[in-house]
Amino acid sequence: MTDGRTAAHEEVAVSVPGGGELAIETRGLRKTYRSVRGRSVGVEGLDLQVPVGGVHGFLGPNGSGKTTTIRMLLGLVRPDRGTATIFGHEVPKRLPEVVGRVGAIVESPKFFPAFSARRNLRLLADAIGAPAGRVDVVIDEVGLTGRAKDRYKGYSLGMKQRLAIAATLLKDPDLLIFDEPTNGLDPAGIREIRQTMRSLADQGKTVLVSSHILAEVEQIADTVSIVARGRLVASGRVADLVGAGSASRSVRVRVAEPDVTVATSVLETGGMLVRREQDALLVDGAADAAAVNRALGERGVWVHELTPLQADLESVFLGLTAHESPGGHTHRGGRTKRGGPAPEPAHAAAQASSGEGAA
Amino acid sequence: MRRLLRVELRRLWARQVTRWACVGVLALVALSGAATFLSAPPPSDQEVANAQEMFAADQEQWEKDGEQQVEDCEAEAEEQGMTPSEWGCDQMAPRLDWYLPPTQTFVPDASQQEMMFGGAEPAGVDDATAAQVAEIRSSVWNGWAGLASLDDLAILLLLVALVVGVSFVTAEINSGSLGMWLTFEPRRQRVYWSKAVAGALGTIPLVLVGFVLLVGASYAVYASFGTLGDLTGAVWLEVAAFTGRLVAAGAVLAAMGVALGALLKHAAAAVVGVGVVAWACFAFGFSFGEAQRWLPTTALSAWLQGGYVFSTDRCTPGADGVFECESVDHVVTMAQGGLTVAALAVVVTLLAALVFRRRDVS
Repeated sequence: MTDGRTAAHEEVAVSVPGGGELAIETRGLRKTYRSVRGRSVGVEGLDLQVPVGGVHGFLGPNGSGKTTTIRMLLGLVRPDRGTATIFGHEVPKRLPEVVGRVGAIVESPKFFPAFSARRNLRLLADAIGAPAGRVDVVIDEVGLTGRAKDRYKGYSLGMKQRLAIAATLLKDPDLLIFDEPTNGLDPAGIREIRQTMRSLADQGKTVLVSSHILAEVEQIADTVSIVARGRLVASGRVADLVGAGSASRSVRVRVAEPDVTVATSVLETGGMLVRREQDALLVDGAADAAAVNRALGERGVWVHELTPLQADLESVFLGLTAHESPGGHTHRGGRTKRGGPAPEPAHAAAQASSGEGAA
Repeated sequence: MRRLLRVELRRLWARQVTRWACVGVLALVALSGAATFLSAPPPSDQEVANAQEMFAADQEQWEKDGEQQVEDCEAEAEEQGMTPSEWGCDQMAPRLDWYLPPTQTFVPDASQQEMMFGGAEPAGVDDATAAQVAEIRSSVWNGWAGLASLDDLAILLLLVALVVGVSFVTAEINSGSLGMWLTFEPRRQRVYWSKAVAGALGTIPLVLVGFVLLVGASYAVYASFGTLGDLTGAVWLEVAAFTGRLVAAGAVLAAMGVALGALLKHAAAAVVGVGVVAWACFAFGFSFGEAQRWLPTTALSAWLQGGYVFSTDRCTPGADGVFECESVDHVVTMAQGGLTVAALAVVVTLLAALVFRRRDVS
């Protein structure tokens, strides 16, 4: 994205659990990069809050600024402006004071291919002064004990990722930051990593996981922040965001083919938004499914199928970040992969609920 | 810092480049030994017999007309305005060694240096400098065989140290493992200095063992030929001193390699850059005149060989307005060379440490 472009969305804020104690907080974080094409903005005034405890999904399309934000938190990239804190310590200035409480994987893990998992971890343990016995503990925690003596280069992608998680656990951190941890993994590998992250959160640790794949985060995240074009566009509990999306009341209607035109006209006259999807109509803006049925019945159009559509996080995500992906959906004409409701009403509903708590 | 340094040393030696460097050094030793074995055998019995036959024939002729040849020579010398000695009239009697192929020895003899410098006296310098020039030129590292051929190979060991240092950092930068490392130890200055010191210390065994093996292989070959030459305790002391200076230079160059790698982020760019600078110094160094004493290649040679001599032309207008030029020798002492190399290393390393501290890590 280029400098000067305005954000496409207003921030959607719902309540964040945790009673105000934050593992991560950023305020007005900004990072730009110089390139031959000029200056591009990686992160633009990001205000992020990650509560202590649980899994926090950090979501956004590719190029939305997730990795840049994580790199700034870890002191790898210097912000142009704004502040960031981890457990109240300003970073990167005071990162050394808090780094012992933070474990992180940024993109792909890198280990010595010819070394075993144990030998690789011993190197890292020595570097941070962790006791030697800790290596076997963390290897066991990620389920690699049986392969601990095998060379790293013989590991599957999933095993490599688990070893990277084991490396982050050497410090027994309170905060774990995983940047796209399931990239390239098969479904079994994704499930393993998901379970590991959930398990770590259940042990009382805070897990920040960035991803552009909603499905993997939705199942384990307690709270999420959604970014687009370097800005925060939504944050809060998953249930609250999905609940806000549910307010859209989208309904799938199937009528006999000759009645499609009449049905469309009737519903639009009633203030609803109607789109054709194959042999069905998708209706947004109805009070509920009954209202659709009543309106059509009064005009003698008989309904073959009437299905209220459940909102999910993905639909919220797509709605909020629709402008980010090439050929992305417009709000009113959009549709999620799962056939969820169009996102714009979800956005509006979530905004309405923004008084519930600070994001 | 010590903990980090220990880990960085283990990482350095675990790297494939380091292992390949070891293989390369061993290959260099093997090739050097083989080349010496093939090129330095003493004259065969047949060659000696042929030489003796030719020497006897010339000797017989010399006994017949030697006096006349000397008289003719002295007359020519007088015509040229020189003394008979300056014209070489006292060296006309045949000697057996003229007819033998040159004998290579482990310790270069005076004839090697004479072949290199043509027996020229130090030019345009005072007595003290002339003594320095003479001492440097008579060093065992000047010549074309034996120990004198090893100082060129020692440069290759330094190049290996540089490459190991460069790749130590660039591989981590380009693979992304530096980012992972910094998530464990975010104090960048500590990380940088641990890498620089690990690069310097980690390459010491490589350079030390490499050069000891080179000397050992050369010694073994010459010993087997019975052509060790004037191998005295003083020569071994000089070999030990050279080895010490070489190891120190290797450590400094490895640290500079780390610095260049951190600055340029690309191994090929750093190594090629150093190569271009070195080539330019050799090819165009003379054009710097007296300032060539500050060139890195001059300084490094002076440090390694215990001093370095280079010549410039000093031209002055004569009474008739025509410029007359004379060659002037200049000495770069070992200490001057060492200080110049050290200063360069300090500047590059501090610059790299500053950049490493501030630059974003992708």
